[in-house]
Amino acid sequence: MTLLALVGVVLAFNLMTFGNGPVMIPLLQHELVDTRRVLTLDQLLYAFAIARATPGPANMYVAAIGYFLHGLPGAILTMLALILPGYLMVPFVRVYDRLRDRESVGAFVGGLTAASVGVIFAAIIGMARSSLTEVASWLVFGLALALLAVPRVPALAAVALAALAGLGLRSLGA
Amino acid sequence: VVHATPRRAASQRAVRASSAVALTGPLPDRPDDAARDVAGGLSLRALLVVFLKAGFAWGGGLGILAVLEDELVRRHRVLTEDEFLAMYGVGRIVPSGTMTALAVAFGHRLGGWPGTVVALLALSLPAFVLVAILTAGYATLRGGALLEVLPVTILPAAVALVVLAGARLGRRYMKLTGELLIVVGAFAGSLLLGINPAVLLLLGGVTSMGLARWRRGRAPA
Repeated sequence: MTLLALVGVVLAFNLMTFGNGPVMIPLLQHELVDTRRVLTLDQLLYAFAIARATPGPANMYVAAIGYFLHGLPGAILTMLALILPGYLMVPFVRVYDRLRDRESVGAFVGGLTAASVGVIFAAIIGMARSSLTEVASWLVFGLALALLAVPRVPALAAVALAALAGLGLRSLGA
Repeated sequence: VVHATPRRAASQRAVRASSAVALTGPLPDRPDDAARDVAGGLSLRALLVVFLKAGFAWGGGLGILAVLEDELVRRHRVLTEDEFLAMYGVGRIVPSGTMTALAVAFGHRLGGWPGTVVALLALSLPAFVLVAILTAGYATLRGGALLEVLPVTILPAAVALVVLAGARLGRRYMKLTGELLIVVGAFAGSLLLGINPAVLLLLGGVTSMGLARWRRGRAPA
């Protein structure tokens, strides 16, 4: 598969799925693993796992796929195919700014905003389901939440303490 | 000196935007955070720091959202919660990654075109570099110790951060209004029916327009 074809596939799937990272996985699996056979399922899963394990945008697994197929240039170009469509926001926001004073547009964006909150909560449940898979992870989650609820405890300190506790639990065999 | 003009333009835009919110807030029965003191743009250096923090946030899109809300709405106070959520909503219906779209939107609003480049690169490069290194080390790292301990360390802590940010953003809807119905409907539609979030957001917007029309129809002339 040529680099250009790969970039085209990533660009198309990115636009089709409205940037929903996990939704791109079955599409990429069908295209790259099952149909074209240029990537193994193991590689795809590894790419997904390391992108979740590292900080930052989780859809960066696409860059890992680019790296597997075409080395560093493949990784760079697939990343660009991932982030450059973000510039579509500029005309969207411009239109929104121009129309925001109209009552119907205000109502529309108000509903959009309310629905966003519902979608965020649904995503949180999905995230908790896939991340809190054992007793120890629930304990670490509870500890982190409790620490974060204490005023004046920096978020980084709360995360670090909770992570250390998790390491302790793991070494105890929990 | 180089970025003085876009910065001034951005701050003028932000001032105009915040006064527009104050005058015509779309949902006036909500707690009015538009009245809070909202400053203009951010320096490119400040944008770089904010988006690097977001780029090093765990928990994917929601983790990044939590950091951006904390930094831009609460710490720097360059956006109101209303504006932040409205941008998130617009970002979700734009066909591209939502966090990338937000980096462009916030970068543009707060730092002009140079701001978009700074925000996008600061958000993406940390993950890109780490992912490239780990992919290069595919053969040696497979099943390594790092991936073993993640489920009991960083991942649950990231979920906690995200829950907190979600609670902050959702707080204002916790009373019986038409908006709460939209929140619950979108939540159920996404979680139980698996409907595409972009579709749910558009439905929410249309429902809210209908509600506004209905309210106006019932209001005494």
